Amino acid sequence: MKTRTEKIRETAKRLLSEGKVDVVLGYRAGTIPLRTAPYFARTVEEAENLIWNSHCRINLANFLPRRQERVAVTAKGCDARNIVNHIIENQIRRDQVYIIGVPCEGMVDLDLVLEKESRPIQEVIESNGQLTLKGPDFSTSLDKAEVLRQNCLTCAHRNPTVYDELAVDQVPELEGVDRYADLKELLAKSDADRYAYFQELVKDCIRCYACRDACPLCYCQVCFVDEAMPQWLGKSIDPADVMTYHLLRAFHCAGRCTDCGACESACPMGIKVRQFTRLLEKDVKELYGYEAGLSLEAKPPLTVYRPDDPQEFIK
Amino acid sequence: MAEMILKKSDLAEFVKSLLSDYQVLAPVKDGRHVNFAPVEDGEFLLDFQNTFLSPKHLFFPQSEKMFEFSTDKAGEGAFILKEVEKNPQPRVIFGLRPCDAKAFQILDKIFRNDQYADPYWFNKREATVLIGLGCNHPCPTCFCTSVNCGPFHEEGLDALAFDLGDRLLLRPLTEKGRKVLDQAKGLKPADDQAGEKAAALKDEAEKAITSKVFTDQIARRSVMELFEAAHWDRVHESCLNCGTCTYVCPTCHCFDIQDEVAGIVGDRVRNWDTCMSWLFTMHGSGHNPRPGKKERVRQRFMHKFKYIPIKRDGEIGCVGCGRCINLCPVNIDVRDVVRDMNA
Amino acid sequence: MTEEQKKTEEFEPKIIAFLCNWCSYGGADLAGVSRLQYPPNIRVIRIPCTGRMSPKFILQAFRRGADGVWVSGCHPGDCHYIAGNLYARRKFTLLNNLLHSVGLEPGRLHFSWVSSAEGEKFATVAKEVIAAVKAAGPNSRFVKSRIEVA
Repeated sequence: MKTRTEKIRETAKRLLSEGKVDVVLGYRAGTIPLRTAPYFARTVEEAENLIWNSHCRINLANFLPRRQERVAVTAKGCDARNIVNHIIENQIRRDQVYIIGVPCEGMVDLDLVLEKESRPIQEVIESNGQLTLKGPDFSTSLDKAEVLRQNCLTCAHRNPTVYDELAVDQVPELEGVDRYADLKELLAKSDADRYAYFQELVKDCIRCYACRDACPLCYCQVCFVDEAMPQWLGKSIDPADVMTYHLLRAFHCAGRCTDCGACESACPMGIKVRQFTRLLEKDVKELYGYEAGLSLEAKPPLTVYRPDDPQEFIK
Repeated sequence: MAEMILKKSDLAEFVKSLLSDYQVLAPVKDGRHVNFAPVEDGEFLLDFQNTFLSPKHLFFPQSEKMFEFSTDKAGEGAFILKEVEKNPQPRVIFGLRPCDAKAFQILDKIFRNDQYADPYWFNKREATVLIGLGCNHPCPTCFCTSVNCGPFHEEGLDALAFDLGDRLLLRPLTEKGRKVLDQAKGLKPADDQAGEKAAALKDEAEKAITSKVFTDQIARRSVMELFEAAHWDRVHESCLNCGTCTYVCPTCHCFDIQDEVAGIVGDRVRNWDTCMSWLFTMHGSGHNPRPGKKERVRQRFMHKFKYIPIKRDGEIGCVGCGRCINLCPVNIDVRDVVRDMNA
Repeated sequence: MTEEQKKTEEFEPKIIAFLCNWCSYGGADLAGVSRLQYPPNIRVIRIPCTGRMSPKFILQAFRRGADGVWVSGCHPGDCHYIAGNLYARRKFTLLNNLLHSVGLEPGRLHFSWVSSAEGEKFATVAKEVIAAVKAAGPNSRFVKSRIEVA
């Protein structure tokens, strides 16, 4: 049985040699351990560099908007949903994208690994659910399950829902997962406690916008942070401005976010920015019964209305 | 002044003896990371790779108030620009890595020209003494020896410490450094053995750095040749144009100044800015000389490895600290880019 | 009177009211013409339709020092632009929940449907909103004071 990497290379080479696509967008091995990099394979030779492992954290759908060429994309469950989102939002046409769906069993959280092993790591070998970390004078093993990303532990769609072909057989979806358990606990606290929690959450933010730039949903030519007349928020690390940024960005993702976790993975400061987007995701699911990116015919919740939409809070 | 020995068990005494005149900053654990923070005893780290963010924020804070103003005729000082109090506290930064100290030297050249020296930067610089700590175990991503720096490089430091195990060898390098070591308690003149051990550590550390880049061809080639190279078409593809590399980099120094007005009072604020942003070069007319990711990504590497060397007598605008390599979300590796530029 | 009561007694909140041009603004106008009394704490911003409302406006209002924000529009089904308020309703629901989840005190953010014939309702809701914001006290959580940096 072929591995994901083998199947992806095979498919990429076939698509490129048959001229079906201009570029295959996947991942290549990182220049340092525990990393991968987005890779644009344009020839059959370059397709040999494509890989798939537990470090494919960046969402490749991020690179699709405004692309003119025909592109094949290796997409795990969440990424594929973002591609669907892009098609619905007219950022790319369905006939431009060839989705190589990759059923996913979760990506590793880099910070969790580095927390467990702070010595310099020279090599990482992955096999049978174990990560073996090797340094100049040590070798330790970690259970992949212990260091998975938070969003992967509660993933609702490990298998792509829309695809042109699957790299490997579908994997079983997670059962009995409460995606919002921690949020429910948080929401039961007082408003003062919640305020303190969120202020603490973003206190290290350096306004680098890695979260926004890694997010496939954030494709506006002029982002709200760049608007000057009027200016909605300052450019400093003043706590009020930092909070405004995160609140507005999360709101712009309402009903569109697939919880791919690229934002948290990209953040250099390790800020759990998904706490904002998940609040909205929970409401969208509970109030409007909608999950982003499951079907090309779906209508995003903020583009439609029902006469009986909830409104008890409106006088 | 000769080199001195400080036993690690005497670190608290050393720090306390300086507190009357200086605030002492040293590397401490900050969650999962290491950052500089004020200390009052010997409880700080000597066994760490490097601070998470570069320490440039100690002289060049991410957001800094420049002056205040008010149009409140009823209040004092209406219509007068009021400079923010700039009485920087004298500080000793202990445990600075040589790459970061070299970066401060580079930034000194940038924050000063023949007509103007940035007072916000230099006020703090003049009031601060830098005591470096050489790297016995350089990080796998360090390539300082390729960019005119090294694990025990002395440029930019007022004194350099060698970690000999249970004690430190302190080498004074400037007048400022000598003054601090004179005042400090807990020091004894160093023996020859210590000096030999220190030299050996430096040797080993330099040999341990296996990551190398070469910049000789970059220096030789013309700007246009480098500018029009083909590899830029591929490098930029995966870049997110976020500001991570620029904000963690010890030599990046660009900033944006803006007035923040609240009714009849306001502040002029300087914030870090990033050339990765499209807004960075956006003209009021709507024209953007760096309209796409390719132009912006190329600019960053050209600036560091070609433009700064041209403008600052061969000084390379990178100190090989490796922070960008570790933190880039898409693993764009500066070493690979420089290799392409030098190919 | 306790210290706290004194504080709230002296405190006059600043409330920004975003009113849709066709219904709520008309309702406010009718309240005025009918000489219906309500405290003077609201400052009105007229928008063409609640569909035009953006979370940016609400956050900006708080950021600039508003102690309370009130958004009012046509009743669902009566929107001058047919469905503007129906789209807005979903946005309001999500924003209302989000802001309260991150610690906005209850009583600061209000939404209502007031038609141009409902002068009485406008005055009543205004009084309710003002009383609620007064009880919440001065805005300290989402306001941008002078820049707080080194």
